[in-house]
Amino acid sequence: MNWRKLRTFLLTVLALSLIPATRYYQIDVPLLHWLRGSRHVDPLSLHLMGEFVENNLGTEQDSDGSVTVRMIAQQYLFIPHCILIPAGVPVHLRITSADAVHWLAFDGTDYKVKALPGTISEAQLQFPHPGEYKMPCREFCGAGHYAMRSELKVVPREQFPVLQPGERSSCAGH
Amino acid sequence: MRDTKRFPRYWRLFPWRLRAAIALAVTLVAGTAASALLLQAGANPPDRIPSYVEWTPETLAAAAGGDAFRGMLLARRCDHCHGAEGFSAVGYTPNLAGIDRLAIWKELEDFRSHKRLSRDMNPIAESLSPRDVADVVAYFAKLPAFADPGDKRIFPQSRPDPGPAGIASRLVSFGDGERGIPPCQACHGPVGYRPGAPLLVNQNAEYVLNQLEAFASGERANDINMPMRTIAGLLTEDERHALAEYYGAGLGLEPASLTAPK
Repeated sequence: MNWRKLRTFLLTVLALSLIPATRYYQIDVPLLHWLRGSRHVDPLSLHLMGEFVENNLGTEQDSDGSVTVRMIAQQYLFIPHCILIPAGVPVHLRITSADAVHWLAFDGTDYKVKALPGTISEAQLQFPHPGEYKMPCREFCGAGHYAMRSELKVVPREQFPVLQPGERSSCAGH
Repeated sequence: MRDTKRFPRYWRLFPWRLRAAIALAVTLVAGTAASALLLQAGANPPDRIPSYVEWTPETLAAAAGGDAFRGMLLARRCDHCHGAEGFSAVGYTPNLAGIDRLAIWKELEDFRSHKRLSRDMNPIAESLSPRDVADVVAYFAKLPAFADPGDKRIFPQSRPDPGPAGIASRLVSFGDGERGIPPCQACHGPVGYRPGAPLLVNQNAEYVLNQLEAFASGERANDINMPMRTIAGLLTEDERHALAEYYGAGLGLEPASLTAPK
């Protein structure tokens, strides 16, 4: 075997071994994250790892005073079902879908965020006044689509609870 | 000339570019492994994982590839609580006849990994091999869930009075858009389907009520992405009772029988 053949063989093995590595969901390697882009997320394993595990959903308080809201859209619910944010601060919304395409709308405002399976949709929102908004799904997603609706509660900044670094807040019942 | 004493003969197979490529590959692999370990070590509060089941094509194939005949032989162990034909005589034990394969497979997996707790089912699920689970699941999925004229089995439930059934059938068919409660039948059949959601046909009323209350209180927390914990928490006490009676009466797939004479 000369070195050319050996090189071809090794490169083929390397290339073939990369295919299952990008295909399998369980492999959580930073290099793959970098290759696929930071907005890639696996819709089937949201509950197992990554930023959309159960105890990371809801509102997170950032150090600069803004908040980050993480949500999952799935047939036929938005999780958390009720979002609590303070008024007048920048809100970074990060949402992904576990199954179909959903479109999160905020009734009474112009905000609309599409939730796609496999990617994280980001949006920068701001609600200057306290109030309650309905957040229905505006993209037909299946049999229960018309009942898919969650709620947004904007409270004055002093009424918003002070959160610890690992703590998330929402007004859903659980 | 190269010094052949210092380098073994096979070293000459690798030109310097290939040597560099191999060194780069080794560095990358070692670096990623090390950084992954470091990232895991410095993680924030531990993730709360509801269930280790993940509906990949591999999982679906494993759950659907069982042998129903072998499952029938294995399922004789289940007779004592779940009934010889998959209809249990005890209210708090679920009927398994005609239950969807993926649903019962997921529950057995969760019992095995203690993501769903039950004094009786945890040791039983641990004693089953993956093949046993797939076989038992295939058997129960094949059992008929409906009364047909030639059927001699006794269905334990009676018909509900129309008041709660009205509340329940509205929730089952339409849900409640105002509160954001999706209709039950969009996932539990017959209109829609979702992997892991059991088709609620002829289920024991007491069992359904127990599970709704366990979901609402968070005592049972093995639903992936928490749909049932959310919905059960939004339902009122009356609605939970009404839904339990509705499914307990075997109305899951035939709402018309509520009004039709029998």
